[in-house]
Amino acid sequence: MGRPPQRTDQMSDLPTTCARCDSTGTIRVLTTSPVPGAWTMYACSTCTYSWRSTEAAYVSDPATYPAAFKVDPAAIAEMPVVPTVPPRRA
Amino acid sequence: MPYRDLREFLSVLEEEGQLLKHTDPVHPEPDLSAAARAVPNLTDRGPALLFDNIHGYRRGRVALNVVGSWPNHALMLGMDKDTPVKEQFFEFARRWDDYPVPAERRDDAPWQEHTIDEGIDLFQLLPLFRLNRYDVGTYIDKAVVVSRDPDDPDHFGKQNAGIYRIQVKDKATLGIQPLPTHDIGLHLRAAEERGENLPVAIAIGNDPVMTTVSGMPLTYEQSEYEMAGAIQGEPYRIAKAPLTGLDVPWGAEVVLEGEILAGVREIEGPFGEFTGHYSGGRRQPVIRITKVSHRTDPIFEHLYLGMPWTEMDYTLALNTSVPLYQQLKKDFPEVVAVNAMYTQGLLAVVSVKQRYGGFAKAVGMRAMTTPHGLGYCKVMIMVDETVDPFNLAQVMWAMSVKFHPQHDIVTVPNASVLPLDPSSDPAGITHKVVFDATTPIAPETRGHYSQTVDAPADTKKWEDLLKGLIK
Ligand SMILES: [Zn+2]
Repeated sequence: MGRPPQRTDQMSDLPTTCARCDSTGTIRVLTTSPVPGAWTMYACSTCTYSWRSTEAAYVSDPATYPAAFKVDPAAIAEMPVVPTVPPRRA
Repeated sequence: MPYRDLREFLSVLEEEGQLLKHTDPVHPEPDLSAAARAVPNLTDRGPALLFDNIHGYRRGRVALNVVGSWPNHALMLGMDKDTPVKEQFFEFARRWDDYPVPAERRDDAPWQEHTIDEGIDLFQLLPLFRLNRYDVGTYIDKAVVVSRDPDDPDHFGKQNAGIYRIQVKDKATLGIQPLPTHDIGLHLRAAEERGENLPVAIAIGNDPVMTTVSGMPLTYEQSEYEMAGAIQGEPYRIAKAPLTGLDVPWGAEVVLEGEILAGVREIEGPFGEFTGHYSGGRRQPVIRITKVSHRTDPIFEHLYLGMPWTEMDYTLALNTSVPLYQQLKKDFPEVVAVNAMYTQGLLAVVSVKQRYGGFAKAVGMRAMTTPHGLGYCKVMIMVDETVDPFNLAQVMWAMSVKFHPQHDIVTVPNASVLPLDPSSDPAGITHKVVFDATTPIAPETRGHYSQTVDAPADTKKWEDLLKGLIK
């Protein structure tokens, strides 16, 4: 079951563009597999999106990531706050 | 009964043929969530799944669909795995009435074996994986989150144990969704008003009764641990988490401790929800984890959710139905049973003996004004006391022959509903409806219902006889 392991990712393969928010230069290595070389996880510091190097292109390809799930980095600050932060007691 | 931890329940499931151990190699994505999605697609009698050969992990183990079928739900209650849902409902309601059963404090929890204070990386400890294709990342969605009321920290009942969706944002940073209406939302509000972080303990991998109770709509001062004792019929075991002093399940696989950061909100979501739709993103609170306690080779117990039915529908089925039943029955003893297990009670079926014409419609509208009904109960189907609301064939029969479209629809405009209902517009507002599929009684004299076909004499005798023969 499952697909065979894909390529081993190294730091040098750090993706340049976040599939979700299209930011560039905001991606870091989140963690690497306990068994060395199996996979790397990446995360975007702008939108907190994260993914694993062994996942299908539908999670990592900025060009084909569906518009309905894209996020405009400028819109993040305008997103509703849940729950709202109450005022400090006097 | 009772099960002291997840492992004890998994071994009972195995003995009963309700656990599938999968030892072939799998990928974290999409294999694990696809398997958990597949079981309820195939059957409502399916097994729990245990994976122990996950690509990239040496000893990682993942348990899925643990309570994801009616036999597993019956075994959770310590009943025969073939117990019909309606019987499970009445047994659940009976035990609910035993609340409270005081908890049993112990200091020998198996999760005390290992602790991590430095260099915490949750991805190394647990095989975290993406559940649905466009989830923002990996989540922990079946863990018991414990917190106290900062204004009354010694009140045991106000200590809350609930299940909330938790995004794993970094090695030791989580995002959480504590809605203002949740007990933990009240705790966070008090902490933020005081300008303090809110300490939390997150117990991952628990016995099935604790998971079930943590999803119950209890009142603010009711203790989940004392309810777990009632449901399992014996005091529930708890132990103090070392950093926060919070009471956590004794049998947990892993205990994370840290704080919800006061005043901090950060983008969270989207996350595929129980409505079969994604929700998010919003700016929500953030948790920093600073201490981890865990067993050797902990099992990561996780829950797939998405379009019903999934494991979540089984775990919430009766603990949604029973409180609604108790609340309705208090005002209307004629209520026989409540099936509120469709998308957590957005649609519910109530069987009721009518006092007089129009009575069932009133009971349906009353359901909408119960605490749970305020956010759910959008579609109510009312059936006679002779119809089993858990038997959809019977419910559809009642809808097809008792329901009259001209007389039997009550629409309530612009009522409240949970904002996650994708049909609500604006989010949180919807019309609600009662479909009355009971037999009209005086002064409603319409229809031709005097010649009902009843079962042949001795049918019950033959049911019992054949049940024995089939088994
Ligand atoms: Zn991004």
